[in-house]
Amino acid sequence: MSDTPKCTPRAESQGPTARQEEAFLQALEALEQATPIVKPKYQPEVVRRATDLFESEEGLKIVREQAHRFDSVGLFHAGPWEHPDRLLPALVGGGLRAEGQYPSIEMLSELRVLSIAAGESSHSKFSSEQALTFLRTVMGLNLELLYGGETEESRLRPKVYARARRLLALIEQEVSSEGLLEQVLDDIDARVAQRPIDVSLTLKMIEQAKNIQDDSDPKLAARLDRYLKATGPPTPLAKKAGSPTNYRNFLANATNHEIENEAKVVGKLLTLTGLSSEYHVAFLQHVLRKDETGILAIALDLTEVGQAHMEQYREKVFELMRLTIHPATSWIIYGFQQMLERMLLARPEVSDGLTKLVNLDLCPTAQQVTKKHLPRGSGISANAAIVGGAIAILGQPLGVGQGNNPTCQGARALSLWSLHDPGYLLQLLASAARDDTVEFLFEGSPILSGEIGGGVADGKFDLKLDPVSRILVPHLDRIYDEKMKRAALRGEDPHKWVNPALYGRWVPNSLTSINLTNQTVSGYEDFLRLFYATHHPLYDGGYDLVYPNPVGLLITNVHGVFLGYHAVSIQRIAEDEEGKVRVYFFNPNNEGRQNWGKGVEPSVVGHWEIPGESSLPFEHFAAHIYAFHYNQMEVGDPKAVPAEIIDEVTAHAKEGWGQAFTWL
Amino acid sequence: MERIASGGKSARGGKKTPVALLGYSLETMEAAKHHNIPFVAVVPEGFDVALKEDGVDVVTWDFYVHNQNSDRLYEKLVERGVSHAVPLYEETVEWAGSLNTRLLKDPRAFQRALLFRDKAMMKRNAQMNGIRVGVFEEIRSREEALAFFDDINEARLRLQEEAPEPVHLKPLSAAGSVGHVFVRSRQDITSLPDDAFPCLAESHLAGQEFSVEAFIHKGKIEFMNITEYVHLGYSQIVPETPKLSKQRPKIRKAIEKLMKAFGIVNGMIHPEYFLDQEGELHFGEVAARVPGGHIFELIQRAHGFNPYAALLLCSDPNTSKTVLDRFFPKEKDHKIFAANLMVYPRKASVHQLQFPKELEAHPYMDRHTMFEPVTAKVAERVGFGNHYGTVFLAGEDPETLRELVQRYEEYDFYE
Repeated sequence: MSDTPKCTPRAESQGPTARQEEAFLQALEALEQATPIVKPKYQPEVVRRATDLFESEEGLKIVREQAHRFDSVGLFHAGPWEHPDRLLPALVGGGLRAEGQYPSIEMLSELRVLSIAAGESSHSKFSSEQALTFLRTVMGLNLELLYGGETEESRLRPKVYARARRLLALIEQEVSSEGLLEQVLDDIDARVAQRPIDVSLTLKMIEQAKNIQDDSDPKLAARLDRYLKATGPPTPLAKKAGSPTNYRNFLANATNHEIENEAKVVGKLLTLTGLSSEYHVAFLQHVLRKDETGILAIALDLTEVGQAHMEQYREKVFELMRLTIHPATSWIIYGFQQMLERMLLARPEVSDGLTKLVNLDLCPTAQQVTKKHLPRGSGISANAAIVGGAIAILGQPLGVGQGNNPTCQGARALSLWSLHDPGYLLQLLASAARDDTVEFLFEGSPILSGEIGGGVADGKFDLKLDPVSRILVPHLDRIYDEKMKRAALRGEDPHKWVNPALYGRWVPNSLTSINLTNQTVSGYEDFLRLFYATHHPLYDGGYDLVYPNPVGLLITNVHGVFLGYHAVSIQRIAEDEEGKVRVYFFNPNNEGRQNWGKGVEPSVVGHWEIPGESSLPFEHFAAHIYAFHYNQMEVGDPKAVPAEIIDEVTAHAKEGWGQAFTWL
Repeated sequence: MERIASGGKSARGGKKTPVALLGYSLETMEAAKHHNIPFVAVVPEGFDVALKEDGVDVVTWDFYVHNQNSDRLYEKLVERGVSHAVPLYEETVEWAGSLNTRLLKDPRAFQRALLFRDKAMMKRNAQMNGIRVGVFEEIRSREEALAFFDDINEARLRLQEEAPEPVHLKPLSAAGSVGHVFVRSRQDITSLPDDAFPCLAESHLAGQEFSVEAFIHKGKIEFMNITEYVHLGYSQIVPETPKLSKQRPKIRKAIEKLMKAFGIVNGMIHPEYFLDQEGELHFGEVAARVPGGHIFELIQRAHGFNPYAALLLCSDPNTSKTVLDRFFPKEKDHKIFAANLMVYPRKASVHQLQFPKELEAHPYMDRHTMFEPVTAKVAERVGFGNHYGTVFLAGEDPETLRELVQRYEEYDFYE
């Protein structure tokens, strides 16, 4: 800061007036006096007066001092914030940035949790230990409010953001950020383990983790350091260079030994984290210019198989890399590595499909959605970005996600095609990107996505997605919706016809589901026995699953309370490291880590999951499934499933989602 | 505050019979609790859950459905021994009328309620009873609206080049200013949506507009408040300032005439009038429910009694005179004036609240209800609804108040 007299007032407003404090206390008093039914009449005034005080640190502290009273006076009575034990840390960030009175209520709620954590007030179902954990999680999830800079949104609404930052700073002050770095690193580990294509959130977290002060454990520093190297300067040489451009100049003058050394580091970091940086791009561009295949294999950390594949299709690999490896899209390097490991260029339909995309005449929609998500002036063409996106999805079939859209169907389809028919996927992509339409058949009659409206998302998409999803998913969503309409009113779940017609011949034609009409459950035992007899290796008569099976799950919250329906794909059934049979599945919602209560917690790492897979013990999965496809000709003996197993799973289901239904 | 026992005694003795409160109003329930008036809350579905958890006797009812099952509400209330019904919202007025026809054995209660609900019938009735009203017509179509507009302008001898005489179009049965269209030209009529018809067309009344909140028991005015509109739909002062106050005797007479015309014996009415340059009163319309625009809050602030409780006490034929005398203060005894200002964003897009420091620090400033705007895009105004918040002010000098609300009406509270 300069020492000249300041000409602009500081953003921090003046301290609270005695009148504001008095008015807040009076409003709280009036609320306390009110009988329970009229609490809602007096709550807004408390929230309003608190909002005035939130304008300054001193004011925030005044409200904080009263926080132990909030539950007893009924500040949250009859509202969504009433029960602290039901609060979800993941919703806090959104609440603090919301509109109207909600940011203030959210802040009051956190202050209440602070008072519970500090032991100033107590709650029968929410211990001070739980309160502390809650607040730590909130801090971990809102690092940008703690340490982050301004965004477009925060510039537009500076007051709301300043208040939220004040709150986070107060939490940090009281709870201390001890343990925060470890928690954030654990979170980054789990994200990285799932190898999503869209890594923007991971990158943001790594960026912010840098700001957390924690010298307690050198191991933590080392863990963080690995991520910083993967996403920033990877080596001492790169650090010395200071920028990717300088790094390239340094490389031009480096010895062969030095080059090999750099290649090893970037390659290993890529395999360890799935992440890459503009330095990695600079290195690859250097190698591409020199045509050094051997170094390229090291820099991509290819296995012998991958290296052999690359060498065989050397021309194609170099051509595609020169086109797509670009600072603006550095994240695709991992997809490239994985695509080579899958030896996909050996398939002419993939090789030709990618070439076709390179020269494709893009329709305005595809141009627009692609360019909008590239940094301005980055100098990469829309075609190159789309090819890069295609390479990423081919390399990471399980890394695709639905983002903030209700389009799990589309994400599952892209994943399945990438795995089992990549040529078809590229063909659909070309059609959508060029013609702005894709064509599907439903029971003999064609449906053109460009000619119909509708869609589950009703045409409203959050395009924070990978480049391929951005172009294809809006089309797939309309096609799916249209097929569902055509198959409606047949007296059976329309997915029976729609799933095979949408995904393709990999989905068996028979579908069975629990009868859930009118909030009742019937025929559950038969359903379970059939699931075991078609999916469990002990009872399926040797007909093991080959292709992903799109299935429906009943989802519950951490307390085991029924939330709703969700679609996932079973990828495979196999034994884990302990010999336990697990269901490995693809959850298109971008976050495989879940907690469905009653001990059911899908894991994403540690039980032999392939990156991007979630897994559950077979019986836990069985207790949540309500619909699946199967092949009538490939069914084991349903009666062979022991009654104890059926009873156990049934009991589990009844205690969980089953509570919301009447069992006939 | 002193708790006052009231409510009808049942034939069998000591236990008081409950009153049915039609519509969800926390303020009314609070007043009932405070005065030990037992009640049954009749609310739309969804509002019942929290009330039940708090031990309130609740009946859920859909006030928008009228069919052969409508009788069920009467039966449900009779099962609970309800003595009479009090409407709290415009949509519940005829329900209260229908219920009270049978509960209070008042054969005209329902028809009277319909008068309140149909603005054309209301005006016709007022006119037949010698109350001065503007020219009005029930309009079925756009063509009839245009004809009305032309007729009024012809009668006023307006020349082509002069600004036309404005008229008003209002839905036949909606609360206060909801759906109200101020027509200044033929173009205004042609651009209306088709569903604006049928409606009521009225000539424009110029002058000082005000409303009266008259609490009536056994055919006598127990308390008469006058709410002076500083700017209709934006700001008002309770009670009226000295200039209008001089007209109190005339206004009281007008209210008595209105009570007679509409056969009002117990309860509260909320009519609106215009006082013209010559000191003549013109009747606008009358409602028989809790008024909008936070008028009750202003009454409580200025006069110091709870108008929700007043409404309940006056609606009950069995409330004793002693209770009422003890409850109401003298009209002239108030020390302060209360005002409010409804705030509408003045831009097409708003991002955050910018409350003026000097107003916040003003000794007349009571409180406000504004938060950060809920959506950046500002919706167009419908009726006088959709305001973003209200500023409440109070003080001893009515002119300072008037000056404050007029100044901040022009102020941009959002940036």
